[in-house]
Amino acid sequence: MNLDILLVGVLAIFGIGLYGLLITRNLIKVVVALQILVKAALLALVAAGEASNQLNLSQSIAMTVIVADTVVAVIGLALAVQVKRVLGTFDTTLLSKLRG
Amino acid sequence: MLDALLIAGTVVCAIRAIRARHLLSAALWLAGVSALTALMLYKLGAEQVAVVELSVGAGLVTVLFVFAISIAGDDGLAEREFIPNWFTVGLVGLFLLILGIMLLPLDEMDGAGSKTAMAEMLWENRTLDVLLQTVLIFSGVLCLLGLLTDSHAPAKHNIPHEANELEIEPMDERPEEMMA
Amino acid sequence: MTDILIILAIGLPWLGALAVWLVGNKRPEQQHLLAVIFAVAAGLAALLLIPSYSDAAELKIEVGSVFGDFTFVPDGLGVFLAAVATVVGSLAVIFSVDYMHGDAELGRYYALVLLFIGSMVGLVLTGSMLLLFIFWEMTALCSYALISFYNDDPKAVEGGIKALVITSLGGVGMMIGALIIYAYVGSYEISDFLADPEALPSGVLGVVAFGFLAAAAAKSAQVPFHTWLPGAMEAPSPISALIHAATMVNAGVYLLVRFYPAFEDVEGWTTAVILVGLLSGLLSALMALVAQDLKRALAYSTVSQLGYMVYAVGTGAIFASQFHLLSHAVFKALLFLSAGAVIHSVGTRDMRQMGGLGKQMPFMRNVFIVGALALAGLPILNGFWSKELVLEGGLEEGPVWAYAGMLIGAGITALYSFRMVWLVFFGEPRGTTHAHDAGQYMKLATGILAVGTFTTWLLAGVFGELLEDSLPYHHLEVETGTKIIEDVITAPATLVALGVVALGLLGWWFRKPLSGIAEALSPVGDAAANDFGFEAVNRQIVHWTKEAATALRATQTGYLNWNVVGIIGGLIAVLVILVLGA
Repeated sequence: MNLDILLVGVLAIFGIGLYGLLITRNLIKVVVALQILVKAALLALVAAGEASNQLNLSQSIAMTVIVADTVVAVIGLALAVQVKRVLGTFDTTLLSKLRG
Repeated sequence: MLDALLIAGTVVCAIRAIRARHLLSAALWLAGVSALTALMLYKLGAEQVAVVELSVGAGLVTVLFVFAISIAGDDGLAEREFIPNWFTVGLVGLFLLILGIMLLPLDEMDGAGSKTAMAEMLWENRTLDVLLQTVLIFSGVLCLLGLLTDSHAPAKHNIPHEANELEIEPMDERPEEMMA
Repeated sequence: MTDILIILAIGLPWLGALAVWLVGNKRPEQQHLLAVIFAVAAGLAALLLIPSYSDAAELKIEVGSVFGDFTFVPDGLGVFLAAVATVVGSLAVIFSVDYMHGDAELGRYYALVLLFIGSMVGLVLTGSMLLLFIFWEMTALCSYALISFYNDDPKAVEGGIKALVITSLGGVGMMIGALIIYAYVGSYEISDFLADPEALPSGVLGVVAFGFLAAAAAKSAQVPFHTWLPGAMEAPSPISALIHAATMVNAGVYLLVRFYPAFEDVEGWTTAVILVGLLSGLLSALMALVAQDLKRALAYSTVSQLGYMVYAVGTGAIFASQFHLLSHAVFKALLFLSAGAVIHSVGTRDMRQMGGLGKQMPFMRNVFIVGALALAGLPILNGFWSKELVLEGGLEEGPVWAYAGMLIGAGITALYSFRMVWLVFFGEPRGTTHAHDAGQYMKLATGILAVGTFTTWLLAGVFGELLEDSLPYHHLEVETGTKIIEDVITAPATLVALGVVALGLLGWWFRKPLSGIAEALSPVGDAAANDFGFEAVNRQIVHWTKEAATALRATQTGYLNWNVVGIIGGLIAVLVILVLGA
């Protein structure tokens, strides 16, 4: 696999994730955008491992990243669900002030 | 050729996920991104991580999303342009430009070139990582329990027919919306 | 064996903290008992450590190569201070059995006190700058939590936060210095740095030296960072005795002594140290003279005596400085504990409402007088020997104007000590409450300290020998115990100092005839009562910070998207720096 093309693709995916974070108003879309960012990071990590001939090390680190990112998604979604239950909305522009 | 297709497919899925109007569609496009990423990881030579990514990313996380969306309701909010479009695209473009200058072209890096097997690498050299993962999962579960138990108490007497309503109604509406 | 003793000295108090917390507040008798047992056990461990002193790292915990090894070096400086911390600590805990009797939150109290004792021992025994910082901040945390122990009293909370902010800022300064040293020397070990201070270019070494001086001044409540110590008197009296007289405030002086060989050649550093010591010694003595609150007067007295120790470091008399630290820990803890007993029975800290308590509290009157005489510097008591050594060292090596200032300070010290004794224990009773004499544990703790006040000067020779043998970079030459005593008795400076002390004592006795002089000096007195303007500077800084915070609140819009813009902007800045620097 040509690593240069892959890296260009990774940058594009990363950019899409960032763009999603900048543009979204919905709490669940925030979690979606974060997941896309992490997929791009995983690809970059394994690509680096392949380039420096340390594939197993990068795989081990990638496992840790997947676990951490899944836990983040779980807790993010739980928080979003709670926010919807208590405050009634997913819209971040309405959630901009901390209420007691 | 296949590689370029894979990458293009991932990019398209990611864009559709961000721009989807309904949350459920976004979750499904995200599943697509995960699946294609897993395929790319396999083609790079990292088989074990590809399997984990496929099952966790395209399986577990998607189920979680569907679950959360069905509990909380699927109102699609239009993405109103809060920050001017030229600013966001420009900012992200600048960031990617600088990153690209730093990273490309990816020369052959002088790695240690260790040939330890995957199992040994994960469980012996990176034992601390495995321990930390366990702690992370444990604390995540605790956090989740702390977050979700409060609402169960007042809803206790409502649960029997509320749950049925939640599960039945959206399922009727969804197939049509998904086609859109 | 030594490494086990070190682990015991640090670990036993921490175990005790856990045990007291787990026992729970429903069983106070057990909590008292456990606290005393663990504190005394730690004291024994530290005392047993003294004969096994050495200058090598006896205990080394390896935690990978990123942070270096966590080393503990039981050299003469460390073991003595560890013994002081644990012994005075156990006496303060014994005193607390009576003082905190009936308090509802004993678990929190004892756990914090024991945590503090363990951290203090760790601070003086460690050989790694990283661990030094960690223990430094742990003692600051315990001090804050204990000052604000009565957390429904807003004054106590304010005092605690003030202490925390000032000492933590000092700690940050120390960390930055330690990181700079690591960047040049390549190791966190203090001994590696002392072996080769030339590794830092002279400008950088100067920055580090003055940074450490500022950190030490903040921790030891020296001018201009002294404003937190009077506010810390809201703490229960055993805490004032332990933390703010005998142990934590000595950490600053300890820092200066520890790093002295590396910094002594930096231009202007020793003069700056002498100046800090002089100002602290003199100004706070004046402030103690006009204080109306008993503990406040003792707090200023602590600042003043620490000034003497800092002054001794500046003039190069390391042994005198540490010896005075030992004496001061004993007699100041004694003073604070007996003052605490008095305040506990009378119910007020205001000296204007005390008086004539000597008849009602004879034991406390006697031990307080012993402590006050040691503070003033009367012969036979330990304060005399150490203060004379400090002044002699200052006369030989330091500038004469500093010596003159410290001498005047000694006279004022005698004056205010006598004033305190008189206002509290003699004269006509001005208050209305009838005071009962102290409980048995209070008497036990203060009695032991009073005996110590008479005897710790005998350890001078042993202490000197320990210091000389185990501090290879300090180049100390200390004579034997008897020679020290001889020196002090025969030096002419001693007579001068004794004369000044006598003047101070007589000044109070004849205060009515001398009231004319007092009137003439009253502007100075008023300035002293207002803390010479330092408190006003503090309030101004707090005011400006609050205004800046209110003004900056406008940037926090709360909208997620703008926050992400900020994140990406920061990332771009980091990338640009990386690209340009690579």
